[in-house]
Amino acid sequence: MENNTRRNFIKKLGASVGAASVVGGASILSSCNRVETVTGDTIQLLTSSGELVEVDRSMLKPADLPSLSENQKRGREGIPGKSWVMVIDLSKCRNARECMKSCQNHHQLRPEQHHMNVLQMQDSEHTAPYYMPKNCQHCDNPPCTKVCPVNATFKREDGIVLIDNERCIGCRFCVAACPYSARVFNWFEPKDAEKYEGVTYNIEANVPQKKGTISKCLFSADRLRDEQLPTCVSACPNGVYWFGDRNEDAVTNGTTKETVSFSKLVKDNAAYTLMEELGTKPRVFYLPPKDRAFPFQGEIDDHHA
Amino acid sequence: MNKKLNILIVAILFLSAQHVFGQEWTVPADKENVTNPSEYNLANVKKGKDIYQLNCKSCHGDAGKNNALPLVPVPPDVVSEKMQANTEGGLFYKITAGKGGMPQFETTLSEDDRWRLVNYIMNYNSKNEPVLVDAPPVKAKLLASVNEADKIVEIFAEYENKGEFVKLSGAPIIISAKKAFGNIELGKVLSDENGRAEFAIPENVIGDEEGFVNIVVALEENFEVVPVILDKAKVGKLKEVPKLIRGGEILWSTNENIQPWLLLTYLGAVGAAWLAIGYVVFQILKIRRYSKE
Amino acid sequence: MKKIESAEESRKLLDKITFDLTRSIVKKDEMTRFWFFILIMFIGVGLWGWIIQIDKGLGVTGMRDYVSWGMYIANFVFFVAVSLIGFLLSSALHLLKIDWAKPVSRVAEQVAIAGVALAGLIIVMDMGRPDRFLNVFLHGRFASPIIWDVTVVTTYLVISVLLFYLPLIPDLALLRDRMGSEVPKWKMKIYTILALGWNGNAKQYKTVYHAMRILMLLIIPVGLSIHTVTSWLFAATLRSGWDTTILGPYFVAGAFVAGSAAVIILMYAYRIRYGLKDYFEDIHFDQMGKLLVFVSLVYLYFNINEFLVPGYKMKSAEGVHLTNLFSGSFSSMFWIVQIVGLVLPIILLLCKYFRKPLPIAIISVFVLVSAWFKRYLIVIPTMEHPFLPVQNVPENFQTYSPTSIEIMITLFSFFAALMIISVLAKLFPVITIWEYAEEKGIDKKYLSETPKN
Repeated sequence: MENNTRRNFIKKLGASVGAASVVGGASILSSCNRVETVTGDTIQLLTSSGELVEVDRSMLKPADLPSLSENQKRGREGIPGKSWVMVIDLSKCRNARECMKSCQNHHQLRPEQHHMNVLQMQDSEHTAPYYMPKNCQHCDNPPCTKVCPVNATFKREDGIVLIDNERCIGCRFCVAACPYSARVFNWFEPKDAEKYEGVTYNIEANVPQKKGTISKCLFSADRLRDEQLPTCVSACPNGVYWFGDRNEDAVTNGTTKETVSFSKLVKDNAAYTLMEELGTKPRVFYLPPKDRAFPFQGEIDDHHA
Repeated sequence: MNKKLNILIVAILFLSAQHVFGQEWTVPADKENVTNPSEYNLANVKKGKDIYQLNCKSCHGDAGKNNALPLVPVPPDVVSEKMQANTEGGLFYKITAGKGGMPQFETTLSEDDRWRLVNYIMNYNSKNEPVLVDAPPVKAKLLASVNEADKIVEIFAEYENKGEFVKLSGAPIIISAKKAFGNIELGKVLSDENGRAEFAIPENVIGDEEGFVNIVVALEENFEVVPVILDKAKVGKLKEVPKLIRGGEILWSTNENIQPWLLLTYLGAVGAAWLAIGYVVFQILKIRRYSKE
Repeated sequence: MKKIESAEESRKLLDKITFDLTRSIVKKDEMTRFWFFILIMFIGVGLWGWIIQIDKGLGVTGMRDYVSWGMYIANFVFFVAVSLIGFLLSSALHLLKIDWAKPVSRVAEQVAIAGVALAGLIIVMDMGRPDRFLNVFLHGRFASPIIWDVTVVTTYLVISVLLFYLPLIPDLALLRDRMGSEVPKWKMKIYTILALGWNGNAKQYKTVYHAMRILMLLIIPVGLSIHTVTSWLFAATLRSGWDTTILGPYFVAGAFVAGSAAVIILMYAYRIRYGLKDYFEDIHFDQMGKLLVFVSLVYLYFNINEFLVPGYKMKSAEGVHLTNLFSGSFSSMFWIVQIVGLVLPIILLLCKYFRKPLPIAIISVFVLVSAWFKRYLIVIPTMEHPFLPVQNVPENFQTYSPTSIEIMITLFSFFAALMIISVLAKLFPVITIWEYAEEKGIDKKYLSETPKN
């Protein structure tokens, strides 16, 4: 297998195979994000949930990812008419970390970089510990975009806070501003940098990652454009995540695919947002960890607050 | 030292692997033989099935279809030997306590419900006479149309009986609306003796920006039917799309819609400072001119 | 002001003043060469470190996702702070007609130029993508404190340079007229060009005074904003320890402490090195000592406000931060900085003895070093304690310790600042000759005479 051919192949495929429109193998390919090996007529792909699948080459069609400037333009505008929200049911989380794994695969992150991070929380001394998946809260009053000097991170009309890493200067002011520690920085050459060399940057997946720039959760904006649930939401085996459009008041569970009314879900379960006293108005809602499906088995370490 | 450590690591790995993949999930002896207080009858099994559909199906899949989630270890099918090897008490214990990927239902399901769930599983046990028989799927046909003025979906259902399609009466019909990632159920309606049904669309259904709703009409699972999709029925509320980014109101605006006071203050201050600097530079140039005097 | 009537006496005194004050320019010995060798070496090493950092990425530093601002930012704040003394000494005190500050003002401007120039450079060195620096101008967002900071830093640098240059013009003419035989040709050329054909006529003097007055007025708002805006880089966030309204004046007060100490050290160095005992007199040190006590007291007042008020309440996140400072992992640094850098200097400098040149210079060294660590304490402990727990990351993400590359680059900034000051001192007199001569009663007309040898 020649490294060169593989790289060219990825180039043809576009940055994200997830964007590929493929007849037949769409369901497999839509969740693939990495080309592993190319041998003869078949090709091995790594799905975003970390599985290797082998498909026929003829089933692949190059992704119709628009040019960089077009991609940046639509990436800044967002998906019209939508207002994305996420609901995280803390009573369902058992720290399976499928969300973290699939996210790292999708966004080409190093093992220590988390867009989605399952934290072990304990609010105060006598309360019960619980697992809390934490990603970017996509605040409606985002402290991070306020401070960006070059408008590299911005709020879109559909509610997503996105980053343009073709513009980011790496000042890390947004990291300092974010109270949720949601942002990560590419301190080194990103993972598999030479493999993705020359691949067109996809602003809505923030791939390929770029050295010296910021990265964070973006609700898998590239998948949303393909009308698919975000990677983490689909990957969860325990029904923790609900995701949908607040404008049409519906959220869909990534595991059971059940669709319910967003307002009813958050009302019935007394949902809350993280650190609402800071006035950031998050778009991620948490359902309290009451009547938990799984016992807490971790250890609370003291490196807290 | 190093070798010892390696052996230790291997041992730990082996043990933990046993722990995770091992078939053993021992039930305490006193729990094993508890008798099921709820009676094995159709009503309880049916209720058990409803509970199963809501809480268990997402991982264990449909009974007998072997379509469980690919987890490690794989959640066994209800019909499987592995599942049926459990005693009723054992099943109750496992549902209650949970282990690894299996949730604990102690707090989320009442004791009665958990026993009903056991009854549902027992429906597939060879010892028992099945009370709940999944009939083979029946082929059916659905016709539906929307009365936009009255916001009513009119449905006509037929099923195949001895090679002929005849009207289907008394069957629950599910009406849902398409949303971004799935269909949200709007309600159910039973077909009458003529195979007809009318469903009044609730007032609060949200459509798209023009009020169009994509309605899906389907039958319950034991029918083999192509759901009817009624595209763009103008029966919903207009979807409100509140403008999120309002210019000049919020500090996170971009330069295109920055607050005028901020821009004016900034430009004013910078302009004044640099005007003054420019004036000073001009004065310095004047010094040069004065030297010729 | 006494006036020396005799022309002979005036000329003689002027010759002496010129001779003494140009010693720094003329003096050339092993020591000078050694000093510049050291400077260039460290600057070279630091630049080499920067090249490694650009090549490998910011990962060569000890900064990680949680402590994402480290020593560079602390150092940046330190340099901005030190530079602020230029505004206090050469403008505020001038406008208040405080005469003793006049000979010190050029030293203060040297510090200001070096400080603010390096502050700007350090920010570029802290960037993950210095190659995209131009984006700041191409895509600048007017609502971002960084844009405000870039604006005021540049403005302050320009004003400082002008404020250094304007009172220098008559001196340059003096040097042009008198130093012909003693300095190399290139230096003479610089003097000639920069003197702008100065011949000391009344109109020219009037213009200089006029322009200086404008600059002195202008530098007050700009100087205040440069450090206030720098404090906003922190205060604009929600983090405990930074999220406080007092941060602006707190930074400004602290800046005067650091800057005064830097000026005192520099004055002492010039006094010893260039034999300027009669120019940087004991009275200057005494007055600078009083000034240092005054600004330190103001700073102490802000410190009490900054720590006592939240410490009284111990709100959850603030409490963690403060416990960490008072008795946690940063406690020794915190208390040493507060006591050695603030409380002790105030007590000591209240005694006249300690305001003598040598003692005050030594105290100033402690104050300045503490001031640097104080900035370290402002930046790092807050970043080490975010609101949410730090989990699922390697050990080195949790606490910050600077790497050798970071130390190299930070040392670079010190030596580069010293380089700027040294070059300025080797090129131009460290005290304004004409102002000083005027102060001593020499009429302006003697200044523009070409001395007959």
